[in-house]
Amino acid sequence: MILPIERKKGFPTISKEEQTRITTVVVRVAAMLLEYGAESRLIEQLSSRLGVALGCTSIEISLIPSAIVLTTLIGDSSVTTTRRAHEQPINMSIVHQIVAICIAAEQNPRNIMMVERSLANIHANPYPTWLIVPIIGLSCAAFSHLQGADWPGFWITFLAASVGMMVRRALSSRNYSLLIVFAFTAFVCTLIGSLAFYHDLSSTGRIVLSSSVLLLVPGFPYINSMLDAFKGYISMGWGRWTQATLLTLMSSLGIMLAMGLLDIKGW
Amino acid sequence: MMEWVSLLLDAMWAAIPAVGFGMIFNVPRSALPLCALGGALTYGLREVLLHHHFSIELSTFIAATAIGIIGVFWSRRYVMPRPVYTVPSIIPMIPGTYAYEMMISLVSMNTDGVTDALLSSFIENGLHAVSILFAIAFGLVLPSMYYTKRKQPII
Repeated sequence: MILPIERKKGFPTISKEEQTRITTVVVRVAAMLLEYGAESRLIEQLSSRLGVALGCTSIEISLIPSAIVLTTLIGDSSVTTTRRAHEQPINMSIVHQIVAICIAAEQNPRNIMMVERSLANIHANPYPTWLIVPIIGLSCAAFSHLQGADWPGFWITFLAASVGMMVRRALSSRNYSLLIVFAFTAFVCTLIGSLAFYHDLSSTGRIVLSSSVLLLVPGFPYINSMLDAFKGYISMGWGRWTQATLLTLMSSLGIMLAMGLLDIKGW
Repeated sequence: MMEWVSLLLDAMWAAIPAVGFGMIFNVPRSALPLCALGGALTYGLREVLLHHHFSIELSTFIAATAIGIIGVFWSRRYVMPRPVYTVPSIIPMIPGTYAYEMMISLVSMNTDGVTDALLSSFIENGLHAVSILFAIAFGLVLPSMYYTKRKQPII
């Protein structure tokens, strides 16, 4: 359905039901962007661009790390709604598809049917486990190589990081809290990485241990928190900073537990 | 000549983590080659700067700024938000070893008692890790701060 285009000056021709429908679509887009790890400025920009393209006068939005409050204004009438954002793994593929939808909506203004249809067709597009596990193993092994580990150390890092990634995928798919997943993965990685000290398999054991847990670096939360704080979204910046720091602390906890268990004298 | 070959090899090794972390962050398939290129570029640039006796923080900052600026052009051209390219590209520069050494010295200070060597190792490694992290983040933020001044969105 294409909404009627002719508008008298200052008088909205969009009914309250249509405005509610527009609000639902826009807040859904904003909540998805927040859940899948877009920065705050992108969330605000994209939702207001989408709202204007669908016929609103303007969009006002208020963000906190776990929820979203959004108001659409058409002339004098306003509709406000709140959504809770649930924790999801970072997914840039979904963010990219939403950007594409918003740009398409700007090219075909006031076509809410098209936006709803393309929002229903968003797919998460995950990489298969058989591909991601060896690649992550190889990534951490490449880290250890760049830091100067020897070849036995390289292969031990590969093994530790691959098994760690498998554990992480398995735990994530069972919906454990991200903090638990990080702690347990770090524990497993350190246990396997400490093979390097067994009969002095590798002479660079400390590099092996430090690179095999690098798959747990919370890169997106850290960078997003800095981007948010620098662009004026201070509370979002703090929230994401806290999340990233907590994740790092939990991984350190896992590493310490494994070391205490094995009593490695790595230093 | 040999230096250039080893630099290229290191840059290629650095491309692997960029791709791997791109997969963890689930970037679209079409962006993966660009992530690899970005990771190799940033790491290579940092190695060149380190070779010319810049400090590690300054060279990390310059490399992160470079990928931030390149990311603006790529995001215009391929219509994707910038973090899709920039965050996987800076992953090879993450100060993992420094942070790990810092934690180790903290733990051993707890178990074996505080000594001067442990304390200085803790402070040195911790300062390096934190300042490199800030250098990365500030380098990435700087280009987008410039574009925030203009009202026109980048994509």
